[in-house]
Amino acid sequence: MANTASTQPISATPTLDAPRTGTWDGGNEPFKASYGKLMMWFFLLSDAFTFAAFLTTYGLIRHKHGVFAGPGKFHFSTDWWPVPDQVFNAFPGLHGHELPLAFVALMTMILIFSSVTMVLAVEAGHRMDKADVQKWLLWTILFGSTFLASQAWEWTHFIHGTEKGLLMADGTVFHGANLAMNQYGPVLFADLFFFITGFHGTHVFSGVCLLIWCFIATTNGTFHKRGHYEMVEKIGLYWHFVDLVWVFVFTFFYLV
Amino acid sequence: MASHATNDHAHVQGEIAKPNTGWIWRTFWVLVGITAVEFVFVFFMDPGTLRNTIFIILTIFKAFFIVGEFMHLKHETKGLIWTILVPMALLVWLLVALVTEGSFIGEVLQNMFK
Repeated sequence: MANTASTQPISATPTLDAPRTGTWDGGNEPFKASYGKLMMWFFLLSDAFTFAAFLTTYGLIRHKHGVFAGPGKFHFSTDWWPVPDQVFNAFPGLHGHELPLAFVALMTMILIFSSVTMVLAVEAGHRMDKADVQKWLLWTILFGSTFLASQAWEWTHFIHGTEKGLLMADGTVFHGANLAMNQYGPVLFADLFFFITGFHGTHVFSGVCLLIWCFIATTNGTFHKRGHYEMVEKIGLYWHFVDLVWVFVFTFFYLV
Repeated sequence: MASHATNDHAHVQGEIAKPNTGWIWRTFWVLVGITAVEFVFVFFMDPGTLRNTIFIILTIFKAFFIVGEFMHLKHETKGLIWTILVPMALLVWLLVALVTEGSFIGEVLQNMFK
């Protein structure tokens, strides 16, 4: 004992008697969320930047173009930005009826409802109720797929256009829309429609794929063996984000 | 995993807690209600800055319920809440700046050859 005491220098800094336990001292979760959930949040934040860039671009380009100032009733022209409820007023199976925004209202309800069934799946996961998780995941997959099918119809109608079409400068009539021409207004209107709703639709599609995988894993008992259904929660975060984006697309593309 | 305190009692075989879904359906009806109000404004109010402002406020309400309740952010730690909200608040500035810029570009192009 005496030997070791003489050879070892006295340390200037006192050693720790107990490990540090502060919030940011390591060994705990300051945000009280697991790594996976936290990374999903940060991914969604970055994804929100992309969607915000899209919608900001829409705002800039829309304000760059003129608005219809009369005289008479609103009609389509490449000189001004179209009024959304004049563009989106068709409903499947009700040809010839003008139903402004009715179909997009239905799509919104489908997506909000799919969000509810997703929370119900997460809630069932907290209770380790495998059968309920399966049931609500299946409902979410069903509503997600229905939304995608509705969007496919919406796109088809937008691309094919109305019977009236738009009289072009060379005397021909153009029906529908593509990336270079459209009957509803300036070229960029259709471009932004394809890019914004297309990018959102791609997200819904990825979400449906994730949900199908999640359903298979639940059925195989993967999460039950793992002891928690956190994967359902993480996919749920993504799914709600997709719903959230639609809420903004709905306002800025269809309502405003 | 340490963060899953709910699992400890759930491992007991055959014992599944009763579902607690009241808050989910409440949030659902709030979202449906706000969407219905938006449609009332679409059809019964003339377009204009005031109507657009109402739409944006209602949209933010809906976003609050989706992110706060469905995504559970309201019940997370303050640090996580601010980590998500602060960058989003900066985007509002980007939106305002570029929409103003858009109006200006439009005005310049219209008056260019006058």
